[in-house]
Amino acid sequence: MTASGKALEQASRNRPLARLRDTFSMIVSSRIATIGLLLVLFWIVVAILAPVIAPYSSSAQDGQAVNKAPSAAHLLGTDHLGRDILSRLIYGSRTILTLAPLSVLAAVILGTFLGLLGGYYGGLIDEVVMRILDAIMAFPTILLYLIIISAIGASAVNVVIAITFVGAPGIARLVRSLTLDIRVRDYIAAAQLRGENPLYVMFAEILPNARGPLIIDSMLRVGYAVFAIGTLGFLGLGLPPPTPDWGGMIANARKFIWVNPWGVLWPTLAIASLVVGLNLFADGLREESTRYQ
Amino acid sequence: MLVRDYMTRHPLMATQQMSVVEAQKFMGENKIRHLPVVGDGKRLLGLVTRQRLLVDPGRLGSLSVWDIARTLSSLKVSDVMLKVPEVVTIDSDLTIEEAARIMVEKRIGCLPVVEKGILVGILTELDLLAQLSELMAAREHGVRVTIRMPSGVPGELAKLVSAIAARGWGIEACGGSPSPKAPGKWDAVIKLKVTMDEARATLGQIPDQEIVDIREV
Amino acid sequence: MDAHKPQTPVLDIQGLAISYETRRGDVPAVRDVSFQIKRGEAFSIVGESGCGKSTVAFGIVNFLGRNGRIVDGRILFQGQDLVGQSPEELRRIRGDRIAMVYQDPMAALNPSMRIGDQMAEVLIVHRHMKPREAEDACVEMLKRVHMPDPANVVRRYPHQLSGGQQQRVVIGMALLNDPALLIMDEPTTALDVTVEAAVLDLVRELQHEFQTAIMYISHNLGVVARVSHRVAVMYAGEIVERASVQDLFARPQHPYTQGLLRCVPRLGSDKRDSVLYPIRGRVPSPSALPPGCIFEPRCEYAREDCRLRKPELRQLYADHLARCHFAEEIRETVWQQPEDLLAHIAMPPDNTAEPILRVQNAKTYYQAPSRKLFSREKLLVKAVDDVSIEIKKGHTLGIVGESGCGKSTLVKTIVGMERPTGGEFEFMGVDISGPVSTRKLDTIREMQMVFQNPDSTLNPSFSVGYQIGRPLRRFKTVPANQVRDEVVRLLDMMKLGERYYDRYPRQLSGGEKQRVGIARAIAARPGLVLCDEPVSALDVSVQAAVLNLLLEIQKELGATLAFIAHDLSVVRFFCDRIAVMYLGKVVEIGPSEAIYGPPYHPYTEALLSAVPIPDPRAEQKHVRLLGAVPSALNPPSGCRFHTRCPRKVGDICEREEPPWLDNGNGHRIACHIPLEELRSMEAVITVPSASTRA
Repeated sequence: MTASGKALEQASRNRPLARLRDTFSMIVSSRIATIGLLLVLFWIVVAILAPVIAPYSSSAQDGQAVNKAPSAAHLLGTDHLGRDILSRLIYGSRTILTLAPLSVLAAVILGTFLGLLGGYYGGLIDEVVMRILDAIMAFPTILLYLIIISAIGASAVNVVIAITFVGAPGIARLVRSLTLDIRVRDYIAAAQLRGENPLYVMFAEILPNARGPLIIDSMLRVGYAVFAIGTLGFLGLGLPPPTPDWGGMIANARKFIWVNPWGVLWPTLAIASLVVGLNLFADGLREESTRYQ
Repeated sequence: MLVRDYMTRHPLMATQQMSVVEAQKFMGENKIRHLPVVGDGKRLLGLVTRQRLLVDPGRLGSLSVWDIARTLSSLKVSDVMLKVPEVVTIDSDLTIEEAARIMVEKRIGCLPVVEKGILVGILTELDLLAQLSELMAAREHGVRVTIRMPSGVPGELAKLVSAIAARGWGIEACGGSPSPKAPGKWDAVIKLKVTMDEARATLGQIPDQEIVDIREV
Repeated sequence: MDAHKPQTPVLDIQGLAISYETRRGDVPAVRDVSFQIKRGEAFSIVGESGCGKSTVAFGIVNFLGRNGRIVDGRILFQGQDLVGQSPEELRRIRGDRIAMVYQDPMAALNPSMRIGDQMAEVLIVHRHMKPREAEDACVEMLKRVHMPDPANVVRRYPHQLSGGQQQRVVIGMALLNDPALLIMDEPTTALDVTVEAAVLDLVRELQHEFQTAIMYISHNLGVVARVSHRVAVMYAGEIVERASVQDLFARPQHPYTQGLLRCVPRLGSDKRDSVLYPIRGRVPSPSALPPGCIFEPRCEYAREDCRLRKPELRQLYADHLARCHFAEEIRETVWQQPEDLLAHIAMPPDNTAEPILRVQNAKTYYQAPSRKLFSREKLLVKAVDDVSIEIKKGHTLGIVGESGCGKSTLVKTIVGMERPTGGEFEFMGVDISGPVSTRKLDTIREMQMVFQNPDSTLNPSFSVGYQIGRPLRRFKTVPANQVRDEVVRLLDMMKLGERYYDRYPRQLSGGEKQRVGIARAIAARPGLVLCDEPVSALDVSVQAAVLNLLLEIQKELGATLAFIAHDLSVVRFFCDRIAVMYLGKVVEIGPSEAIYGPPYHPYTEALLSAVPIPDPRAEQKHVRLLGAVPSALNPPSGCRFHTRCPRKVGDICEREEPPWLDNGNGHRIACHIPLEELRSMEAVITVPSASTRA
């Protein structure tokens, strides 16, 4: 290929569609990422098609069929209130697949802002931000959740707030270290020498270059968030009933585990598969993106 | 004039695994007659010469043609080399005349130079011969005078040198040894950049000394 | 004299070819490379980045990595072919008899082991020496590399030594096993010029003593001229010329070599000797090589035949080979010097212009963290200590000094990235002693900077067009709808063109990135452009192109330039005035011509005698500085240079700061030596004049 042909080809790569295609091919070339993606996509499809595929509503109770094992009528069995586990699982995926990404997004916004601030300014501001974050990270996560939820009450919004609060410090740390690395590069000095104001430098010059590791870290965190929501639900700190909440389902079914182990099994598998899928996807992506560096 | 200044540094060497056939080829290609064998860290283990590559027929006496071929091809240098305690080696700090003396005494043509068992160079008869011709400035043109003087008498050489210095001449080369055919005498060989007549005139006048050979080279 | 010894070369490379496996197939990185190195000889391979010279070295020591393979040829080391040997044999041969020294000494030294332990390890592992004995041998070797206080150094860690000292240790380690072949891959590139000169002296001395064959790899023609007996020039994976060092520089036969020699300044007495003429075009990528002669696309003498047939490396006359079909027909005298370049040199600067920048008694001190835990001592690093300079409008000022002299700090203070501790700073009539954030937008616009490292000067996330356009948008120098046109105009000025508008930095070469950086700096038409070593990270031919570009821009825009460099060779043809700095102070300042001839400040003299000159016929005085640069924490009293000055007068140098001596025409030297004595110094460099060249 001639030099100009190559250049043309490279220029075309810069358009968004081509970049998407590149990312897609990167994913496809990693088996791990593909498996992860398929798992996640499965649950997303389930969540979207919930009203269509769920045989029953999530709250419909059948007094006759309490704690029943899987059968023709109820493919995965019923819980202690006679509700169809399969339907609850399907509708529960909606909850979890809205709350988890939302909380991660909020955590990323907050954490990024703090990390950029500390990394860019250094000095006193950095010290203050870091020490606050250190204080938060010193608490065991479960304890932190307990404290927060007890303080503000249990609801969907508060779950998001809790996860944001707990997740932000880790992201802030990551962004801060990326910022420290980028900050000394000459193009940042060039920006400062144009008299650009600090916010521009942080968000327009530094952040775009930190997005790689940040994106991958966020995807991993969605997995943690799913797990966190499940834990909160399990501890009874999650969404109030009768919202179908996988963690809550496990908590409730726990009491009847000797009678109907299915009530515990299915939600557990659901959480596990979603978390594993997200982790595999993030891991595979990370490996592929660093392979040819 | 020490060994370290005249030896060949970084000599061609072989490891124990080299086969005799390869060694022969190697020595032929590179025109060397002595090949040291070394181990780890260039530790001298033995020496291979043309002679040692000749296999003693006694070893092969009872073998068939195929076995001979097989034996020959599997022979390694470590099987035929002269092993280290028997190899005569010298230190790099030795004088070359001492090295020459050793070569003459032991009737060998090559001395591996080692420091604490590690091979650092090799000194061969060729090196010494080259040195001999350098000694007498064989490449310089001039008048070569051999002067015979009594040996064991102090001041004789000084007389010769002063005579030369008095004329303001420079000495291109200078050497000497006991006269080969006249006991009790000592021959000094001087190379000067002057004419034959000038040399004969000045050096012929020294008392107790006679010119036994004078030529232009 | 050694004709009776075996003539087998230590290294005999025959037709070597090395390829790398990539996703898109095999890339032939090295093709048909042949040369010999005899015992005690220094052989250099010179070429620009990507030419394959390091790959050849890696091939010899089996460092090619997982996807590199030797696909053809023989590597005869001391008569034995390394290609095809068993791994144990190779390991033994390479461990005992071949040693390698790299560019970065810290890559070879283990930071967590003491120097003595690391060096001794070489002997213990290879020669099975006892530790006691090994340590003694190490101390001996350190003495031979002229390391001060060797008994102490063996107990220290690498980071406690300076760069030059680390490199001496590495060289010592390499020679411990008395290797027959020593490969040195750009060993002095990362060192300061004066340190480099001392290390090169050491290499020559040791080579003579140990009779080691040396394979020297470098891109610096000056260094090659100084250390080698014979040279091979590599281009895009092939050897294009091979000859003795005198012959190569005196009568280069291949057009690439000729072009290369025109790119490097020669520092003769005539300023014309320092003009740099770049080679047009770009090095071809190894996966897209031209079908005929590889240099044909860039060759000024190319003919039809050159595009069709690949030339062989053939002998032109005794021991001089070149890979060119028509080498005999090329006469260097036929080569035309581009008229416009010479015109630039001829035009003298306008001395009646007003100063655009005036710096008086500038001081920038840093606080260093105290070494003791609980002390209150204030440790001040006096990075810039009482410096006064001024630049007239339209002129170029060069600021030269080695690492630690304060030139970068001075520039950062002027530009507002560092806070000055004292002094007056006036720029275009405005006081600029405050940091950037306190300055008016217009003042900021008038002072811009070009940075050193092409890889970090551009933001990887934005396109070239966007980044050049940003200053235009920020400073609103053109209306928004004309920004794109202006950017394209700038790209044309940089000789890049519109097709670079949408490209991203990762698609650009080093030289191209630097040009974009320059375009960005001049986009808003600043009055003063500060260039911080803008070409030192670039290949020689690219350097020439970028420097000429800067000159053109300066003339066209009427801009004023401040140019920082670490050695005196590049700045000569480029600058009107030069200031030489040492340890935070200016020691000599004046018109460029005045700096290169006597009178000299003793430091300038040492710098000039250290610069490697790409001409073996040049005569250069041999002035070497003792010791290392003192720390700026505790600079020497009186004249700061007195601890290393070869011309130290006496106690006065230690007691009093030297006065400024005025040599007329704006040339001043800070020294205690009387001016008449300085005027009577010999010129450091005498080079046969350019008339023999072209």
